[in-house]
Amino acid sequence: MSALRPYRVLELSESVAGEYCGKLLADFGAEVIKLEKPGEGSPTRRLGPFAGTGEALERSGLFAYLNTNKRSVSLDPADPAAAETLRRLLERVDVVIDDHAPGWLKGIGLDPQAFSAAWPRLLLCSITPYGQTPPEDRRHAQDLNVFHASGWGYHTPTGADESRPPLNGAGRFLPSYEAALDSAMCIVAALYEREGSGQGQFIEVSAQQVLASRVDYVLGQMVAGDMDVSTRRNALDLFGPAGIFRCRDGYAYIWMSAPSHWDGLRQLLGDPEWMKAFPERWLERECTPPRVAECRRHIAAWLATQDKEPVAAEAQKLGLTLVPVNSAEDLKGSPQYRHRGYFAELEHPVLGRSLYPTVPYKLSETPARLESPAPLLGQDTDRLLAGEGA
Amino acid sequence: MTQRKRGGPLQGVRVVELTKVWAGPYVGKLLSFLGAEVIRVESLESLDVTRTFGVADINKAPGFQAVNPQKLSVQIDMKQPQGIALLKDLLARADIVVENLRPGAVRRLGLGYEAVRQVKPDIVYVSMGMWGSEGPLAYQTGYAPCFAALGGVSLLVGYEGEAPAGMNVRYADSTFGAAAAYAATVALLHRRRTGVGQFVDVSAVECMTSMIGDTVMESLLKGTVPLGRGNRHPDMAPHGVYPCREGEWISIAAAGDADWARLCEAMGQPGLAQDTRFRDLAARKAAEDELDRRLAAWTAGRDAAGLAAELQGRGLAAARSQSSVDLVADPHLWGNGFFREVHTSEGEARSIVGPSWKMTREAAIGAAAPRLGEHNAYVLGEILGLSPERQRELAEAGVAR
Repeated sequence: MSALRPYRVLELSESVAGEYCGKLLADFGAEVIKLEKPGEGSPTRRLGPFAGTGEALERSGLFAYLNTNKRSVSLDPADPAAAETLRRLLERVDVVIDDHAPGWLKGIGLDPQAFSAAWPRLLLCSITPYGQTPPEDRRHAQDLNVFHASGWGYHTPTGADESRPPLNGAGRFLPSYEAALDSAMCIVAALYEREGSGQGQFIEVSAQQVLASRVDYVLGQMVAGDMDVSTRRNALDLFGPAGIFRCRDGYAYIWMSAPSHWDGLRQLLGDPEWMKAFPERWLERECTPPRVAECRRHIAAWLATQDKEPVAAEAQKLGLTLVPVNSAEDLKGSPQYRHRGYFAELEHPVLGRSLYPTVPYKLSETPARLESPAPLLGQDTDRLLAGEGA
Repeated sequence: MTQRKRGGPLQGVRVVELTKVWAGPYVGKLLSFLGAEVIRVESLESLDVTRTFGVADINKAPGFQAVNPQKLSVQIDMKQPQGIALLKDLLARADIVVENLRPGAVRRLGLGYEAVRQVKPDIVYVSMGMWGSEGPLAYQTGYAPCFAALGGVSLLVGYEGEAPAGMNVRYADSTFGAAAAYAATVALLHRRRTGVGQFVDVSAVECMTSMIGDTVMESLLKGTVPLGRGNRHPDMAPHGVYPCREGEWISIAAAGDADWARLCEAMGQPGLAQDTRFRDLAARKAAEDELDRRLAAWTAGRDAAGLAAELQGRGLAAARSQSSVDLVADPHLWGNGFFREVHTSEGEARSIVGPSWKMTREAAIGAAAPRLGEHNAYVLGEILGLSPERQRELAEAGVAR
């Protein structure tokens, strides 16, 4: 039995943050009803990767990934003619998720300040780039902008070359996924409270704040005045020889900060001459830039002759933290992912049979499950609105 | 103690943390921000390195204080059988336990899920490991950048056509913690409805993969191997980070042709929008090097914040790339209560990074991170009901000081 089976969620979201939040709940069994504009559908249906052949709006791999286990109802919540149907739907759901700009909810009759009068048990969660009250100069944002407003952008990558632009993290939607995680957690915590209080509430999540809070270990020291702030691109970095190195068949990441790592490396390399010139415990006590550069030069020359998987397995045995830099393809073949069943197969009517990533947590009693593929546009409209006068 | 009646959705929930460094403590931090009572069990014999890193006073370690506000600390020696017995008594009165110790450590201590279940059958037991608690690679350990490398994230960050550069070295621990905290709330809700606890097994590497889920999906559907592409985006152009004056940078993303036309107007070259080389997304993607060169030439020498405001005024998605000094001075983050003040037990004020959310009935957050063993009397006396004499005996025996 899935943990969120008893709950019904209305998803008004039209971008990745809100759709991923809905997915986090749906994969634990919540009935997530997604409202989509008739004939048009969610904008994520028009974002790639595209696969399969046939109906254009059903070929998005992004939409397929973000909307597993959900229902789709063709209804434009902003259409005044749909107001009565929307009102009745709101009476039947526990949670509403939205990710439109601040003010949009009020426009469809769900004023964050007032909705509880009509729907006292309802949880309304709004996910936006900068919260409900953004300043004038933060009204518009894509994930790229949020990543850079949060501080991550300026400091990516580690060891930045100051003459080159800071980078936009991994993939297209990392800030949205991060924001969805905090949102789903708040929603479930509020459902927990509602079991006792019987009361709903309004939850607002700021993606900028979610991302900035992900660096709290450093930012917390900075805001407390314990660590210097600056305009340096390496202000969040740790120093030392750690980094990504080229191997014969790809790349490996090596971490070195403690004497045990240095010893592991020495054993792995068979006690080479160059290591003898380094003082013991130099990593902790005498980690100078020239030593770091020399150490990196030797590691680079050596790793270029190695294959990432075998060298990583050998290093782990010796206490050296060296790992392969994996691609999605590598993960598909990972024995550990197979053991945990991280990928699961689903059959989608247009995209066909494919593996999907599942979730990073295994719950012994209420595991997340991929039960149904993303819905076709409006496929559940008749069934779910039957008797609603729509 | 007022801190145990702070309100918030998880008021009344007790969390025990057997955690170290960042990822595990981040779980407790989020749950405590939601109102839970979070008790860190610490051993003087096996201190969290963040208590000792770079400081003489373990009660004033900046890194520890950054990640552990609003928590309680009890000092129990987990190397003594009596300490383990005491800890089990505490777990019998807890709702959630979170552990991120080295693989196998909790089992060696006699604190694995099966053992804890004996004393608290409906416990929500959250176990955090680089690869999860079981499986062929579960024995391996690593640090945050290893999670990102293994999970597929690092390969996607880099300048086009070059070796991967990876995320900032600080990325991964807190994301791992946030995913674990979400799973913990799900298990807690299930327990509230059914009375059934469970084992929650979280993998750091899988958490990383979930942050690039659509990219992985692309690979699964099409067999492609996506790599870093600088700041470019398949669905938008321009989409990049451009130089401004004095080493500042601005991020600009144009979602469609209308955005592009507005950007051309801002650049004082409205005719550019009709230029066939840049007319639609496909054209702009094909001429992206030229597009980025023109944009960079225009932004160079301008003030990033001023330019962002100007572009926002035209309805465009733009933001200054914020440095650490920009971030701690960000008036919106202060105004929104993201940065806020708490107090130590000595009454000293301290600023912290607060929650990412606001809610109608939220938990009060007022206490700074605890001193080591600051709440021994509360935990041993009030929660476990031990007499002052017994507490003294335990202190003298070094079990709970």
